[in-house]
Amino acid sequence: MKNRIIVLLIVMLTAGSPLFAQDHKTATSFKPVLEHRILAGFNFGATAPVGLPNTIRKINSYWSEFSPSLGYELSYRATSKWGAAIGVKLDYKGMQVKDEVMYFPTIITTKDGASFSGDFTGKNKTIVHNAYVTIPVSAVFTPNDRWRFNLGGYAAWLFSSSFYGSVHDGYIRNGGSTGEKIIIDEATFDFGKELRKFDIGLQGGAAYRVGKKLSVTGNLAWGLRPIFSDDFKGMDFPMYNIYLMLGVAYKI
Amino acid sequence: MKSRKLCWVAALAGSLCGCIKDAPLNPEADIESFTIDKSNLTGDVFIDQSKGRIRLYLTRTAYDSGVVPTIKITPGATITPASGDSLKFDSAGIKKYTVISPSGVNKKTYTIELVNIGNWKFDFEKWGIDKTFPEIPFETLEGEDGSAIWSSGNLGVGLAGVSNPKEFPLRSTTDAYQGKLAAELETRPGTELSMGFMNIYLFAGSLFMGNFDLGSAFQNPLKSTQFGQPYAGEPARFTGYYKYKPGPVFQDEKGNPVAGKTDECSIYAVLYTGTSRLDATNIFTSERIIATAVLPDGSAKADWTHFDIPFTFKKSYDPNVPMMMAIVASSSKDGNYYRGAVGSRLLLDNIEIVKK
Repeated sequence: MKNRIIVLLIVMLTAGSPLFAQDHKTATSFKPVLEHRILAGFNFGATAPVGLPNTIRKINSYWSEFSPSLGYELSYRATSKWGAAIGVKLDYKGMQVKDEVMYFPTIITTKDGASFSGDFTGKNKTIVHNAYVTIPVSAVFTPNDRWRFNLGGYAAWLFSSSFYGSVHDGYIRNGGSTGEKIIIDEATFDFGKELRKFDIGLQGGAAYRVGKKLSVTGNLAWGLRPIFSDDFKGMDFPMYNIYLMLGVAYKI
Repeated sequence: MKSRKLCWVAALAGSLCGCIKDAPLNPEADIESFTIDKSNLTGDVFIDQSKGRIRLYLTRTAYDSGVVPTIKITPGATITPASGDSLKFDSAGIKKYTVISPSGVNKKTYTIELVNIGNWKFDFEKWGIDKTFPEIPFETLEGEDGSAIWSSGNLGVGLAGVSNPKEFPLRSTTDAYQGKLAAELETRPGTELSMGFMNIYLFAGSLFMGNFDLGSAFQNPLKSTQFGQPYAGEPARFTGYYKYKPGPVFQDEKGNPVAGKTDECSIYAVLYTGTSRLDATNIFTSERIIATAVLPDGSAKADWTHFDIPFTFKKSYDPNVPMMMAIVASSSKDGNYYRGAVGSRLLLDNIEIVKK
């Protein structure tokens, strides 16, 4: 087994596009088969509103947090072209964004439950870094022995969350736009505990085989459930997890 | 198939960095400044944004003949009556200003409040309710005519997220020396917000003559306590009654207990020149100070104790110079440095500035 992996790696590294001509015969005499894959990669994307609200005036910078994704997928290939898959993944989803906002309703919450809410105008930095256990379920379409497409949904459980940041160089209006104006040099917020524990959404992607067992893969997961509950006042618009996983799939 | 993937990527990218929408119309409706010629004033105009009050401290002549203010509002907003309309203090005169935001949605009303202290004798019988934070209304001390002569750190404490009206450091008490009520000042523990963001571990109970400027509370809390009201005449003594019980554990500004130290209260009056107010950063150090009267003994007093402190003059008194008088009391002497003992309790009643 070890030797085979080494051989595979050598083949991959040297050839890049190796030889699989003999596989064509399977198309005629296909037997349903279970396949196992290890999926590994990184998530790139954002926890963001779909369509920016007009209170966000400018995005100054954005970058992805270190967001690895590692999982296992079991698929059942019923025919040579069609099958289904279910997986379990550990997904980190994170980003950092620096932006400028105007009359942005938000809240400063304290651990003892007291809060100070109002409309903020100024600069903001938000860091999101959440970890989910994700169960993706897909229909799988395999048109040929290179490409493999999947489309389906996912359910995810949050097990570690952070959603925090700072507001600076601005002011907040206590209670709303006509409230007391309070100059903020710098203040922080932390909504990590307010996040919903469960996320559900659509996911789909494609894999392109580059080795005997190795494919490069991209998979987009689009959350359909706002990450904060409706009665949460810290953000007045719904935000969703929208992340693209880029990585590899290794068939075992 | 490849293009499908590209579509997704494009859709993703589009949703993230995509279209910044048109800026929202300004929903604010402020009177930002209210300027009156200095010669008409005995103290600087104070705009209490949280209550929508414009406090004027006028000379007798200005009161009789009226003034013409220059009003600066949120750019794009509208105000009625207009800036530049003269303000007369008779029954037909302007009492209120209404500002409408550029967005047209919000309206803010400001009431003109004349502050004039005729009698420098205070029995602390009249209390009102401050609704700056609607869900946590707290008590506020009022002047005889309901005007705002007195202020406290309560607003700042509210800002720091105290959620129970009973937990504000200044409130009334029925344990009075005379009459029904007296002022009670209690040093309170910091809130999660104040400790986490501002490194403030306690709030001393405070009561002072002047205004609390909430606007600078986050930036520089010591500047938000604006001490003093216009004063005329030469003061001789500062008198009153107090009770004091220090809290059990004295703590430093980082919240660490300090062994062997007992909290003390402070009560003082400061007379200074000018029309703009001193604050907690300079009330003892300003060059403008003429005279002070400071309670020498801030230790525990189980029963009502009389104080009668003569003013100590640092400069000679000049009746022709505009002056202000500050009266400040705190349940923790070093409360302005956030040092003291949680639970220290100062009761104050029937105080007076006695003229020569």
